[in-house]
This record gives sequence, C-alpha cells and structure tokens, in this order.
Amino acid sequence: MDTLEKLKILSGSARYDASCASSGSSRSGGEGTLGNASTGGICHSWSDDGRCISLLKVLLSNDCRYDCAYCVNRKSNPVARTSFTVKELVALTVKFYRRNYIEGLFLSSAVMQSPDYTMDRMVSIVRKLREEERFFGYIHMKVIPGCSEELVREAGLYADRLSVNIELPSGDSLKLLAPQKRKEQILQPMAFLGDTISANRFERKKNRKAPRFSPAGQSTQMIIGASPESDYRILSLSQGLYKKMNLKRVYYSAYVPVNRDTRLPVLARPPLRREHRLYQADWLLRNYGFNADEILSEEHPFLDEHLDPKAAWALHHPEFFPVDVNRADYAALLRVPGIGVTSAKRIVSARKFAAITPEGLKKIGVVMKRAKYFITCSGRPIECLFDRPALIRQKLLVAGTLPAPQSLKQRQISLFQ
Amino acid sequence: MNRYRYDGTVEGLFSAIDHILRHETDPQSVELKPQQQTLFDEGVYIVTNAERADILVRRFSTAYPENASQVMYCVLSEKEGLETSLLRYIHMVSLYGSRIEAYLTHPAVHDVHFLARKVAREAHRLKGLLRFAMLEDGSYLARMEPDFNIIQPLSRFFTQRLRTQEWFIYDVKRSLVSHWDGKKLDFGTLESFHSPELADEEPEVQRLWRAFFRHIAIPERKNAALQRSFMPIKYWKYLVEKE
Repeated sequence: MDTLEKLKILSGSARYDASCASSGSSRSGGEGTLGNASTGGICHSWSDDGRCISLLKVLLSNDCRYDCAYCVNRKSNPVARTSFTVKELVALTVKFYRRNYIEGLFLSSAVMQSPDYTMDRMVSIVRKLREEERFFGYIHMKVIPGCSEELVREAGLYADRLSVNIELPSGDSLKLLAPQKRKEQILQPMAFLGDTISANRFERKKNRKAPRFSPAGQSTQMIIGASPESDYRILSLSQGLYKKMNLKRVYYSAYVPVNRDTRLPVLARPPLRREHRLYQADWLLRNYGFNADEILSEEHPFLDEHLDPKAAWALHHPEFFPVDVNRADYAALLRVPGIGVTSAKRIVSARKFAAITPEGLKKIGVVMKRAKYFITCSGRPIECLFDRPALIRQKLLVAGTLPAPQSLKQRQISLFQ
Repeated sequence: MNRYRYDGTVEGLFSAIDHILRHETDPQSVELKPQQQTLFDEGVYIVTNAERADILVRRFSTAYPENASQVMYCVLSEKEGLETSLLRYIHMVSLYGSRIEAYLTHPAVHDVHFLARKVAREAHRLKGLLRFAMLEDGSYLARMEPDFNIIQPLSRFFTQRLRTQEWFIYDVKRSLVSHWDGKKLDFGTLESFHSPELADEEPEVQRLWRAFFRHIAIPERKNAALQRSFMPIKYWKYLVEKE
C-alpha cells in the first residue's frame, strides 16, 4: 500500500481523538535544527467539522487486537489494516513541517501484537525525529496502557505531551464496552505520568540542565453519551483527575456511532450540545475557581442544555449578587456571567486609574447583555432585577443572547489551551 | 486646540510626535493628522526630520519595550486616523510609565491596545496559515495577502522555525518580499512576479496534505460556519487544502 492510501486510513481512524493542542511547551534548538514550539500553540487549519488542525494526527497502525464496542478499529470490524513504517512517517512529518502545514506530530496507535511492541515502535519514530532529523516541533504521544514504564520514561524525554485515554467515565462502562481494558490498567500509567512530571519539574528547578519529561504535561479523553453516567459523575471524575493526577486537560468527545452493537445506545445525532456544556463546566473547574459540587449535585445531576453553567449557577445563587465591579475582588468578578478571565483581569487593573462605568465595561470587553443583570458600578445598578432570577433567566434565553454553542466551545479551545 | 500636520510617512509621524512632545505644553489636547491636499486644511505642518524620528523610536523602545511593540503593531496596521491616539499614548507612557497600558477605559490607550491586538492576531493567524511550496532549486516560497503589513514580524518568526531551509515570503498585495538564505534575512520590493517552477515532489506532498485534511474531519460533525469563522475565506486563496 502506498503512503497516500495509508495516510487516508490512519488519519481517518485517528480523527476521533479530540485533542489537537500544541501549547504548553517552548522548545527551540540552535543551528541546524528544524522547528520550534511556542507556548501559546498555533493552529494551522480548520477541518470541515470546524475543529482546529495543529498536528499531523495519525495512528501508527490500525491493526488492533482489542475489540472495544465503540471503536472504529475494533478487531471484529472488516476494515483494511495497515501500518506506517518508521521511515515513512518521519519523512512525512518533516515534509509537512517544512511547508508549514503542521505544528508537529500527534502519534497514537491501535494495539498491535502487544502494548510493549506497539509502544516500542512509536518511541522509535519520535526518537528518530528528535535525534536524526533534529526536529524541535511539537510532539503529542499516546501511552499504550500496559506497556512497560521504561518505554513511558523514554517517550517522555522526546514528547512534549503524553496522554492516556480514560475512554469511558466509569470502570463498569469500561468492563461492558471495552472488555479487554481495565480501569486499573489505565489509571496506573496516568498516576505514573503525574508523579514523573511533577518530580521532573522539581528537579529542573534545582538543575536547569536536567532533561525535560513531557513538559506540556498530560491530558486524557473520555467518550460522552455511549454510557449512562451523569454529568455530575463526569465532572467529579474530571475534578479528581485535575487535583490528584495533575492533568492539564480532560477532553470530552461526543459519541459518534461508528459500529452496530447491542451494548451501545442508538442516537440520532452525536450529543454535541452536551459535550459543549461539559467543556464550559470544565472551564469553570480549571480557570474560574468552581467546584464540581457547586455546579451539580445528586439531585440535579445534569447540566442545563439551554443555559451556560455559570449563568445557571448565578441564577441559583441570587444572594451572591449584585457584585460591584469597582470593589469586588478578582474571584468574585470571575463568578459574574459575561465576565471572563481576561475581562476580570482588565477590570482589576483598569479601576486603579479611574472608577469603571458601564460604558467602560463594554470597552474592556465585558459581555454586557449577560453581565448587566448581576453587577453594579460604584453602587449604581444597570438593571434592577437582582431578586427576580426567573425573569433574568427568561431574558437570557431570548434568542440571540447566547452564542451558538458549537462556536463558543471551539473558540475557547483554540485560545486558551 | 492646536492642529498639526505631517507628510503621511512613518518617519514623518514619529518626527511630528517628537516635535509636539518637545514643544507643546499640553500634548493631550492637540490633534495630529496627515496633510490633506485641500485648500482649507488648516494646521501647522511639521517637516519630517528622520534623525529626530529615529531618536524618539530608539529611546522609547529602550525605556518601554512592551509599549513600543504596541505602537509598532499600530503602525503596521497602516490605518489612518490613529495619529492623535498614538501621540497621546506615547505621551502618557513617558509620563506615567508602562503600567498605563492597563488603563483600558482611557480612549487613547483603548485605541492603541485594541488595534495592536488586531494586527498581532493576524500575524499570529498567518504563522499557522502560511503555506510554503518547494521550488525547483530546493528553496521554498509562500504567498499571502494580509490585511495588515505584517511581513516583518512574520518573517522573523520563520527565521527561527524554518532556519535550515532557504525561503521567500511574498506579500502579493503590497509587492513586498522577504528572503532568508539560512543566515540572513532581507526585505525588498518586487516589480514583477513570474510563478517559478515547482520541485518534482511538490504535487505529491500537496496531494498527501489534501488527503489528510479530508480524512481528519468527522462527517457526522460537519460545521462549515464554524470552519469559516476561524479561517475566513479571504485566507483560502493560498491554502493548499482549499484549492
């Protein structure tokens, strides 16, 4: 099979991996080296589904010995099987990089003969890229659960980011849908990565010449809507992963039915809106100082489809408002719908020069059509509806006040990760 | 209010600002504009003095490097009508220091900050969207038509990224070209342009990229509006995957 055919198959089966971040790492070589990585990350294109393309995202092989119900590459599917050779994929990456098509390589793989065999092949690709081609672009690599720690250790020396897919939000669902995978088998390398990454950070503080290990941290991904877990359960899991395993990002991937299987739900469309609301709630966990228990509970385990989670929280907590933009601290400003991380920071620094007026808020970039129900400017309210959350809700829901769900999520991904 | 006029060039702008800062008692209250070719344009014309402009730019960049880069991005925008804001901004920075940048509710700071952001955003966008093609002689060529004149910061970025290959970046709209030979970066203008012959491997690599682009999209999630909002159609002309 020629490279073109292989590329079609192996990118087509890698597309269900959500992550395409190229951020969090800064890398640059000297004379004679190819490429660099910049902390903010760079998007190179956007595919027809509106997702950013930053990395050459491919599988090394789609020849899988596992039979996971939801996966396009499962053993029982009658699809063409193929693998890249090491040389082939290295040459392809370099050719694309020299033309500025990509920021680097995202390398994943189906599990071939064994986890060790697969991981070893993947490591030889990134080793060749770094050592022979002297490639300094971005590399994101999947860790194959069950492979030896030695291989993970070596992978971390070459890659900017490593990730292990948690696949599904609970051990039970994993048992049902991916019978050959076990929860412990997945969590073990994640814990190992978490420990090694933080030990490496510590070491590099003492000795700046110490080799870096996965400098852009680790991330993971789970499928949403293929199994029955609630949003509350999912968010609590993510929160645990951020706190205990030190993850940079958890990606949620709306379940796209690719197989017929009695164990899977029948959906008319992938649950894109749910995925979007989960990303918004995830943002609240990571950047806005929220706790999963504040956003959802056992009694209300699902996010409101019609309202973003921050507005939903605000309407449940009228006692918190109004917040005065000229007096409130940063943490309180962050809780106001319509005020994001950037505008909260701008408010805090701009008000040192002069008190901020509603006009000034607009200039700074606050989304007034949402914020105006929740704030005062030096004691003066804009809308006097603080004690009528039901009415505010109605006004927020009026057509046009909320951005189209898809676009908001994607914009956040590209700007902040 | 005093009205000042200059010749419309970048040097003219900075020498006018230098003149005003040195001679005006209240630079915040004057107006600065390019000279218009009309009979009734009233204003004091300041003759361009390249040396003074250079001194101002050098001093300002040394003392306030971050604010200076904001000013430079505004200049690259080639937008007219911003002179007064730039003058007031530079004056405020030299009075109060670089922290004035955070005073976003002030009209001059606001104008400079957000225009600079817009230009920087396009420069950042093209770091990703620029496409190089390999030519017969092994060098690479990228063409673009950006809204703002960003060839300088963009080229500097690629001297780090693609330092081991010879390349050209060509701004078709402004007939500007930059050239990196592996050691040195040069800028120039282009009188006429003949499409050069491509390297033998080029069509094949482009075919591979187009195939990747097609297959990486999930058909069930197709969303053309979202794609366009990130990648406006004005940039498609030189994108291999959108040809």
